[in-house]
Amino acid sequence: MPRAKIYGYIAVIVATLMGLVFVYYAFIHYDMYSSVHFSSIDTGAYWAVVLPIALVTLFVLATCFWVGYTILTIKVAPPMPEIVEKKDNSKFKAFLLCLVTIALAVWFVYGLYHHSYLAIAIPAACITLVILGMIFWVGIAIITTRSTLKKDK
Amino acid sequence: MKICLLSYRGNPYCGGQGIYLMYLARELAKLGHEVHAIVGPPYPFPVEGVTYHYVSNHNYFNIKDFVKPHKPFATFNPLNFYEFAASKLGIFPEIESFSFRAYSKLRQLLKTHSFDVIHDNQCLGYGFLLIKQFGIPCISTIHHPLTIDRSTWFEYPSSFFLKTKRILYYPLVMQKYVANTMDLIVTVSHDSAQEIYNAFGVPLEKQRVVYNGMDSSIFNPVKLPKRHNSLIFVGNVEDRKKGVIYLLKALTLTRHKVYLTIVDGGAPNRNYVPRWIDKFNLNEQITFTGKIPLDKLVQLYAQTQIALCPSLYEGFGFPAAEAMACELPVIASTGGALPEVVGQHMKTGILVPPRDPYALAEAIDFLIENPDIRNRIGKAARQRVLKTFTWENAARQMVNVYQEAIDAYR
Repeated sequence: MPRAKIYGYIAVIVATLMGLVFVYYAFIHYDMYSSVHFSSIDTGAYWAVVLPIALVTLFVLATCFWVGYTILTIKVAPPMPEIVEKKDNSKFKAFLLCLVTIALAVWFVYGLYHHSYLAIAIPAACITLVILGMIFWVGIAIITTRSTLKKDK
Repeated sequence: MKICLLSYRGNPYCGGQGIYLMYLARELAKLGHEVHAIVGPPYPFPVEGVTYHYVSNHNYFNIKDFVKPHKPFATFNPLNFYEFAASKLGIFPEIESFSFRAYSKLRQLLKTHSFDVIHDNQCLGYGFLLIKQFGIPCISTIHHPLTIDRSTWFEYPSSFFLKTKRILYYPLVMQKYVANTMDLIVTVSHDSAQEIYNAFGVPLEKQRVVYNGMDSSIFNPVKLPKRHNSLIFVGNVEDRKKGVIYLLKALTLTRHKVYLTIVDGGAPNRNYVPRWIDKFNLNEQITFTGKIPLDKLVQLYAQTQIALCPSLYEGFGFPAAEAMACELPVIASTGGALPEVVGQHMKTGILVPPRDPYALAEAIDFLIENPDIRNRIGKAARQRVLKTFTWENAARQMVNVYQEAIDAYR
């Protein structure tokens, strides 16, 4: 097997295993009701861990809100009637997106304030799984790509 | 003067920015300046007197099979991985990643070269914040702000998902921020300058208007028989700001049966406009040429009676100027800078309001019925282009802008 493909398989296996291990230990194995609670952790240590996750999460939520707000408020000329095929409900969906992101942001900040485990674990899982998912994707691409050039190239 | 031009896409076939780079670099070199250009793919053709420095990218946004057989692990390079991840999340990272790669390339070049000015060609990536630390005057050409592209997309019916993709696609926040840190902004029309002020808040005093040129040695009138009731449109039909839908509607309203040739390099892969051609039942009146060489385009202009530019907005409008240089009467909308390029209504071209298929159809019928006026306008149009839009003028004015930026830096 070509060396590149071996590394592709390694990327896929490592990303999958890390994802599974993360999900298992973060959500299945961890008993969030009986284990040591975040509130018992020193405040400085807590915020050192939480702050990067909080910044990324709030950035993502702010971006989602901005998308919704832009769709909701952008002013453009109406389309030619002949090309309107169905009713455009994107403004309603944009409004919902704004509401959902505000609700999530409020829930997240409330969770942080009360040292909630899930408020940290869910965004951390999302960030980790997105990165691992990308590594998995690249791994699959390496495996499925020809590792040598065609003879005529 | 030692000039370093930067363009994230260098090839003239990839759009106006490639054409701009090629001609500007060539004319600056002809004026005796030392010209270097840091370019991203697709790369430009060699130009005498210009030294190119190439930076790569993997074009993750457009290419599905992104793993190169000879570099299978390139995606794991941090900048490449960012570009890959951003592309898959719907963000267009090419501009930003080019700016960081250009910074690395410049740092390397500055060990052996010294530049008097760095001129960016509508990149405005965050990497320029680092490039500015070299202490060299930085100017940027903004052909038009991308807010225009975004808002014209929103004029057409589309789903919430597509609209979301469009918002994420355009790096407006970055460009707005970086544009305001540049020493001077060059733009290609007065209308564009106003739009840059509206969109990015760059004061008009910080902007200089330098009109694009037109290669009248390539685009010139050729004596060939004209096809009966023939029209031509040159441009990307999927680009919503080109207003092709309004043109199609106009074709259903003309009193004369007209035949339109569409020159669009990406035509075989288009789907939006062909769908509307079917719906408007215009199949037998429209021909797509696909990608054609310049001599063939000039030949097509020569065989056609009228050129059309129904754009909702143009920062400059190369296709209008090209057609005018070929002595073709142009019917253009008043969108953006087209009136600045086309000139006086009924003298050097015909101007109609954008988004008005009825006015467009009326203008087409008028020119079809009046061959003398067609000829008169065509001849006047060429004279206007020869007088106003030359790359030599553009380069000379640009050197003045460079000098102004250098003097202000001292």
